[in-house]
Amino acid sequence: MVNRTGNLTEDGIHVDMEHLKKGEVNLGTSIMAIQFADGVILGADSRTTTGAYIANRVTDKLTQITDSIWCCRSGSAADTQAVADIVRYHLNLFEIQNGHPPSVATAASIFQEICYTNKDALTAGIIVAGVDRHKGGQVYNIPLGGSLHQSKYTISGSGSSYIYGFCDSYWKDDMNLEEGMKFVKEALKEAIKWDGSSGGVIRMVVLKKGKKPERHLFLPDEDYVDPPKKQAE
Amino acid sequence: MNQFPHGWGRPRDDVYGAYDSSYLNSTEPVSHTQRPIVTGTSVLGVKFNGGVIIAADNIASYGSLARYDNVERLLQVGTHTVVGAGGDISDMQYLHLLLDNLLIKEQYPADDHALLAPQVHTYISRVLYQRRNKFDPLWNSILTAGADPKTSEPFLSYVDLRGTTYTAPALATGYGAHLAVPILRRHVPDEEACASLSQEDAEKLVEECMKVLWYRDARSGVKYSWAVVTKDGVTTGNNKIENQSWKFAEMIKGYGAQNV
Amino acid sequence: MTSIGTGYDLSNSVFSPDGRNFQVEYAQKAVENGPTTIGLRCKDGVILACEKLITSKLLVPGSNKRISTVDRHIGIATSGLIPDGKHFINRARDEAISWRRNFKDSVPIASLADRMGSYAQAYTLYSSVRPFGVTAIVAGADNDGPGLYMIEPSGLYWGYFGAATGKGRQAAKSEIEKLNLSELTLLQGIKEAARIIYVAHDDNKDKEFEIEMTWVTKDAKTANAAVTGSRGMIWNGWVHEEVPKELLEEAAREAKKAVEEEDEEDDDAKGEEKMDEDL
Repeated sequence: MVNRTGNLTEDGIHVDMEHLKKGEVNLGTSIMAIQFADGVILGADSRTTTGAYIANRVTDKLTQITDSIWCCRSGSAADTQAVADIVRYHLNLFEIQNGHPPSVATAASIFQEICYTNKDALTAGIIVAGVDRHKGGQVYNIPLGGSLHQSKYTISGSGSSYIYGFCDSYWKDDMNLEEGMKFVKEALKEAIKWDGSSGGVIRMVVLKKGKKPERHLFLPDEDYVDPPKKQAE
Repeated sequence: MNQFPHGWGRPRDDVYGAYDSSYLNSTEPVSHTQRPIVTGTSVLGVKFNGGVIIAADNIASYGSLARYDNVERLLQVGTHTVVGAGGDISDMQYLHLLLDNLLIKEQYPADDHALLAPQVHTYISRVLYQRRNKFDPLWNSILTAGADPKTSEPFLSYVDLRGTTYTAPALATGYGAHLAVPILRRHVPDEEACASLSQEDAEKLVEECMKVLWYRDARSGVKYSWAVVTKDGVTTGNNKIENQSWKFAEMIKGYGAQNV
Repeated sequence: MTSIGTGYDLSNSVFSPDGRNFQVEYAQKAVENGPTTIGLRCKDGVILACEKLITSKLLVPGSNKRISTVDRHIGIATSGLIPDGKHFINRARDEAISWRRNFKDSVPIASLADRMGSYAQAYTLYSSVRPFGVTAIVAGADNDGPGLYMIEPSGLYWGYFGAATGKGRQAAKSEIEKLNLSELTLLQGIKEAARIIYVAHDDNKDKEFEIEMTWVTKDAKTANAAVTGSRGMIWNGWVHEEVPKELLEEAAREAKKAVEEEDEEDDDAKGEEKMDEDL
């Protein structure tokens, strides 16, 4: 039988695909997105690991797809970057062909289509969040199998296991920006605290209808304190 | 550009031997999904006099994590059919898409002909069986419930990821097949028993079974959806399991000799 | 049409020296003799109506539909060659299904009209094909509300408040122009539509005809249960369906009466004229 892993005998070159897969960079992660009164907030930690080694301690897991639709990536960095790039291409084309930007639901459904049809090959857990002209702020989650779930807020990644209780207890509908950012920050602080695969800084992106995306950064050595440092997008 | 690994400037062939690219041309079979990921648990269904009732809870589990508690697993298909799915939620959503397209195509001729439960059941069973033959199954077990708009004749059938189908006066998928079916069969052992079961009693029976599943199925939820199909169409609703019995816990002390 | 027979009208892929594509113009001729078909974009939905001449007493009433459902929320009426219309509708259905597969959403009317416009235009480019001998009126509704488009054999399409094509289009258009479509409701609209079909019919009075009429509505009371999607299905809440029989019959009755009264007035006037002549 053919050796699928490509292990060769004696002096051949070893190409062990299984080993390569294990060495892949993973976003063992804490990510989340919420709806609030004026739109959505996306949040993420910044740790990327290969095994126990931190390959990147200031990763940006919040990825822009269109002007007003972003996603949080978890799972394989390579897979989720590829998927995000493909979806960005499709949505740019959509806007050119149809003369208006795609809805958040459309964006989420393209993510889902790719994650579902390629479920055997992908390790991708993606949150899609954004605002559109008809339905305002929306949050969608696409977990491993490629199902699609809309909700008022969603959490994902390895660190999320530790904050189900926190989020369920402290969630309120229609929070203002300050309350919303506090909710996201406190949740991610707990996730970072308890999950070894999550850590580093907390990044947030705020999306409001008709406004430019707004980035926020919170640093661990400042105990993630307010006031947030605004950065121009 | 040569994109194959042996063109990447690898070590010299005379030192290390020729590159063995055999692993690129594997002759092994392609493998597909071998497990469900986000899952729903049991679906129950009982025929009664003039119709059928079907129920499923609203939990979608991720392993043992009750990941979502608001998932609708019953889908109305046309006017007189409801399809309930257990198993992988992503496959269920895909199946819903297929059924949606089926309904739209059925509408094209505008001949007032509508799909009823037996046709929907057969369609689903063919899809599932074809997928199992591709060794890429849709990981679901499904109940199709319906009633004939003219004769009131109830319809209830089962199909699973292998394309296995069967029908009975009362059916359940997943844990329900172990825990609920024995209870259901006690009330409706055969079609005659269904014919003398009232809708109200059928609803009570399903409530009771959902309660047992809530007690004993670790992947179940306290909130569930139900649908009743009669010749007049589909009625749906949401329920929460009530009249639970927990008080007796205070009688239970220790696990043997201890009694304080 | 002075250039007929000069050879420049034989192929799609050849322009005439004065820059015309005769095949497209001939296709438009095919439509000009088609049945009168109109579309009205009302405040709360869209109406499609079609005059159907009864070509044989052996036909079952209501058979041979010229208006088709393309998706739950879209209907298309075609005027011109029936087989071309069927092919056009099939393509529109495929486009709608493909949009659903890609975007898990109902196709917006503007997007479908654009796709179908491009499709029709592609049939004006190649010597191996001929243009569609139909004009299609696309009616539907989406997040932006009701939408009405008309696609011509050239591939040209515009959005309209009211559209008319086929034999009686001139009379129909001048009637449509009198309507205040942005305020008109569907219930008022079906009466106007029936009247317009009767008015446009005037010129060939001798032939029997029936009216085929559909609408795109959000009214749950009239919506055909078999057509609508349930929760969990892709559906924007709008339904393209036949106008309920009683409403259509009532509208047709009133329209017939109104037109006959008008005719009587005309006849009276003509009668007087005739008397003058006799004198």
